[in-house]
Amino acid sequence: MKKRTGLLLLAGAVALTARAAAPKHGAQWVIGMSQCNLGEPWRVQMNADIRRAAEAHPEIRVIFKDAQNDTLAQRAQIEEFVNADVDLLIVSPKEAAPLTPPVAEAFQKGIPVVVLDRRVLGEEFTEFIGADNRRIGRAAGAWAMRRLAELPAVKAGGKARIVELKGLMTSTPGQDRDAGFREALKGQPVEIVFEADMKWLEPQARKEMESALAVAPQIDLVYAHNDPGAHGAYLAAKAAGREAGIIFIGIDGLPQEGQVYVRQGLLEASFEYPTGGREAVENALKVLRGESVAKEVTLRSRVFTRANVAAGGEWLP
Amino acid sequence: MPPPLLHLSAIGKSFGPNRVLDGVSLDLRAGEVHVLAGENGAGKSTLIKILAGIHADYDGRVELAGRAVRFATPLAANRAGIAVIHQELSLVDTMSVADNLFLGREPARIGGWWLDRPAQRRRALELCRQLDLELSAEDLARPVGDFPLSAKNRIEIAKALSQEARILAMDEPTSALNGPEVKRLFALMETLKRQGCGILYITHRMEEIYRVADRITVLRDGRWVGTARAADCPEPRLIQWMIGRELADYIPPRSGPARGGEQRPRLAVRGFGVPSPDPARPAAVRGFSVEVRPGEIVGLAGLQGAGCSELFQGLFGAYGRVCTGEVWIDGEPFVPSDPRHSIRRGLAYLTADRKGSGLVAGMSVAANISLASLPRVSPAGVLRAGVERERAGRQATALDVRLASLDQAVGTLSGGNQQKVVLAKWLETEPRVLLLEEPTRGVDVGAKHEIYALMRRWAADGMALLLISTEMPELLRLSDRILVLHRGGITGSFGRGEATPEKILAAAMGAAAGRPEAGPPPPAADALRVWPLACPAFP
Amino acid sequence: MSTARRWFEHSGTRALLALGFVLALGLVFNAGGAFFHWSTHRDMLRQVSVDGILACGMTLVIVTGGIDLAVGSILGLCAVLFALVSLHGGYAAPVAIGAVLLAGAGAGLLSGGLVARFRIQPFIATLAMMVFARGAAKWLSGGEKISQAVQAPDGSFAYVKLPAIFRAIDARVWGGNIAVVTLIFLACAAVTWLVLARLRYGRYLYATGGNEEAARLSGVPVLRAKLLAYGLSGAFSAVAGICQAAQEQQGDPEAGAGYELTAIAIVVLGGNSLMGGRGGMGLTLLGAMTIGYLEKILSINAVGDSSRLMLTGLIVVAAVLLQRRRAG
Repeated sequence: MKKRTGLLLLAGAVALTARAAAPKHGAQWVIGMSQCNLGEPWRVQMNADIRRAAEAHPEIRVIFKDAQNDTLAQRAQIEEFVNADVDLLIVSPKEAAPLTPPVAEAFQKGIPVVVLDRRVLGEEFTEFIGADNRRIGRAAGAWAMRRLAELPAVKAGGKARIVELKGLMTSTPGQDRDAGFREALKGQPVEIVFEADMKWLEPQARKEMESALAVAPQIDLVYAHNDPGAHGAYLAAKAAGREAGIIFIGIDGLPQEGQVYVRQGLLEASFEYPTGGREAVENALKVLRGESVAKEVTLRSRVFTRANVAAGGEWLP
Repeated sequence: MPPPLLHLSAIGKSFGPNRVLDGVSLDLRAGEVHVLAGENGAGKSTLIKILAGIHADYDGRVELAGRAVRFATPLAANRAGIAVIHQELSLVDTMSVADNLFLGREPARIGGWWLDRPAQRRRALELCRQLDLELSAEDLARPVGDFPLSAKNRIEIAKALSQEARILAMDEPTSALNGPEVKRLFALMETLKRQGCGILYITHRMEEIYRVADRITVLRDGRWVGTARAADCPEPRLIQWMIGRELADYIPPRSGPARGGEQRPRLAVRGFGVPSPDPARPAAVRGFSVEVRPGEIVGLAGLQGAGCSELFQGLFGAYGRVCTGEVWIDGEPFVPSDPRHSIRRGLAYLTADRKGSGLVAGMSVAANISLASLPRVSPAGVLRAGVERERAGRQATALDVRLASLDQAVGTLSGGNQQKVVLAKWLETEPRVLLLEEPTRGVDVGAKHEIYALMRRWAADGMALLLISTEMPELLRLSDRILVLHRGGITGSFGRGEATPEKILAAAMGAAAGRPEAGPPPPAADALRVWPLACPAFP
Repeated sequence: MSTARRWFEHSGTRALLALGFVLALGLVFNAGGAFFHWSTHRDMLRQVSVDGILACGMTLVIVTGGIDLAVGSILGLCAVLFALVSLHGGYAAPVAIGAVLLAGAGAGLLSGGLVARFRIQPFIATLAMMVFARGAAKWLSGGEKISQAVQAPDGSFAYVKLPAIFRAIDARVWGGNIAVVTLIFLACAAVTWLVLARLRYGRYLYATGGNEEAARLSGVPVLRAKLLAYGLSGAFSAVAGICQAAQEQQGDPEAGAGYELTAIAIVVLGGNSLMGGRGGMGLTLLGAMTIGYLEKILSINAVGDSSRLMLTGLIVVAAVLLQRRRAG
């Protein structure tokens, strides 16, 4: 009885695996895409962007692997791609140092490597494509200052009160989004009345915002390091009946997250942190066709506001 | 005269408001076995625990060879040469015998960081030779879990003695041993006595007391009652000391024969078989048949592995629907399939292992009593606390369970009272057939007597009782008939009056009721599960 | 033993002591008086509700001597399912809630079946369910949050209206003084209390956890008792999933990751024994308050993440030691 059930389960598992692994035929080039963690919507979006861009080109086929936030698993996946003789590698590494050797090894074996979003060390890769969190933070800060200057209280010479809900201050994106924002605020009539780590999580952001509302009687603007955080803060303020007097801004600008919140009028602005998925596929094609590409591409980002979201946002300087 | 090995004077101990020991004094001399006797809850184990350094806050004085001591930890007691063998063994089953013997005091080098395995082996072998333990070097390397309980018991003693103990305290060391194993333990005790050790010995078995004791001290309700040389303290006096009253008849014989021999049997079993869990081995029970009439008590005897316990479990449906043969209860066919079903059909099964399968120690007395009959106190699935307490209270009173409150955890009761709670649980199911396996194991003399009286009363009320007991006097005195099992089959059937210990033993060893041996004799390891051969005389 | 001493040794009292310790911290570190406003306590009660609902199911399972690691993942699966059925599917609230409860209970029964029928250790069986349910949540959602934005095949977005049930669950009642999710938590606690303290099956759960063999031989339907515990735990996880989805206004396939540990912490901090056979809903309620206040106090004082983790570890140990000391 037990043995039979076990066999049945095993058969089911094998069938599932077989379906998931079934290859598509007819492509000229095979690209291996190693994603460090599909647990984040932003990275799901990156894969989706790559997939959509690749669909327009029947001559390439992309194989996706997800390392589930495990550095060593990602290392093994890169090695698997090399052993499978893919024509090109796209790697969005979890962290720089431990993933530098496998990337360099692939590069030395003549496989072009496009590194996406996070860097690896040294020069042994074909191209790095990424955005600049500090620049985006600075843009958010500048935008916030312009917006706050319109408030009567600030016009009258008062200070604007800001709550900052940080991603994770032990992560580079969190540090950069914080540092850039503060650079833009330097010397301005503002005061940060509450700041906390919300670990990029919406429920956590809501909890922290509730604490902010409890300790700060006046809040003019909430800057969250990602859109879910800003959304969680909005929900907390709404539950307290104080959402009307507060400006919410967030980062990422994903189509189904930040852009939606802006359209709904919950956030006033969302700053895009581009995934670079489309650019990666376009440049990969160039490499495969033998064209030359730049060693480093910094992606530009857009800001989505109520006024421009329908038109696809506005490029930041 | 030199001071005694150990002198305790006016020892007292309280747990909260309960004074469990009060003014107890006693001497232990070199080369003697001093039996500590008393009912459960008399304070024997507490006294041993004070000696072992487990209870550090007590009143009174402890002197070792004339020197006053006070042990704060078990380790301190150990260092002073006191070794205690508790009811629960303290061996690690997964570790080898040698590792167990020296656990915590491993021979080591380099400042204690490097185990000296050869030295450990050498010293272990040396120890075994001193104590006449037949353990080879290979045996010493095997995990303790591979050995039978009796061997573990002796390993435990060896471990105690390897610490150069002069004083050995043993708390019911034979409770799980069979005859030959008990003999071997007693031989070891003789060796130790000759070497000048003093042994403090706790037991509930009357026969054992007179086999090992040089002197006896009796405690009752935490107080010293008396100390006497074993020869000067005959059994009736000892019992009187222990329970504080004279028991005219320790086990009163059954009054009158079972009534209604022509009545329809309560329980009828024909050709019953219980398969062995291992299909390669022969069935645990085969071709068992019996008829038990209302008011009858049928005893079952057998050596270890004869199948008595398996028979009960099979009948009760504890193995599921795997048994063969036919069973009727009050003339209605019954197929054992599941304990739940069996209970509904009027069967109750008191297991031998009270702690393991009888009680839920953490639950209250009331909850334990109602456990097997919950539907009666929870119409529509909702518990009626009042009904439950009332019914449990009535049973507790009827069985004279001594307790502070129905809400107290059953684990805090003494052994005899725990057993009464289990019995109360089964009576609450209003059974027609009672399967009793070792109903008086770990129960003090007074409670034993009460349980015997209860069994008779239930029989008189029309229940059918099947009784497994390793205590020969109990079996002989209580049973109307005794069936003897050998390797899963019946090899003897004796009515009241014709059963003697000798006949039963012969049948249990495979010689069917006086006939020449039916099969090969059992191997030596398949030794007596049962009684010491010397039984007190019966009328 | 004095009456006062016995009172101290009662596990409920000891759990109360731990809660008192945390509350005392709140009185001292009151974040400029924020701790003295009812809204702070109201928010704490809302925040701890989802964890508390999971802890209700966890209590039932732990009483049987088991553990349910799958509660967080089932929460995620049910949040996605609720968003799919209610938000995208447009089904009426009773249909959506019913379907999600069935799914949660089904997942719980499945792990219960593995434990009870196939005798797989609870830790392993529910670990498997934890991984499987998380996978199912990602598969159902395609790895993305199920929100008001619905993506068309061409990549454009359409927006659906938030169903009234989402707002109803995330609302507050009684003059805005208590959150609806808190009431849902209290209702779950009441159901758990009823099962454990008043129903025959509750006694079966205690007996199974206390001594499974004795219970079986006493005619206790051990298998069914375990199925009930795990099934109810799954159903409570579904309730928690619905609450989570309503509060986030979306079904996040990552929701509830790590919540199983919080639920276990709540049960244990309340003084329930992980060995099974003892404890009760009252203790779990105290544990939930303790954990909730601890998080809240650290949050209103805007303690940084690294210090917060260290402080949480230290305070939890201090609270447990405080319980232990009295047990002497």
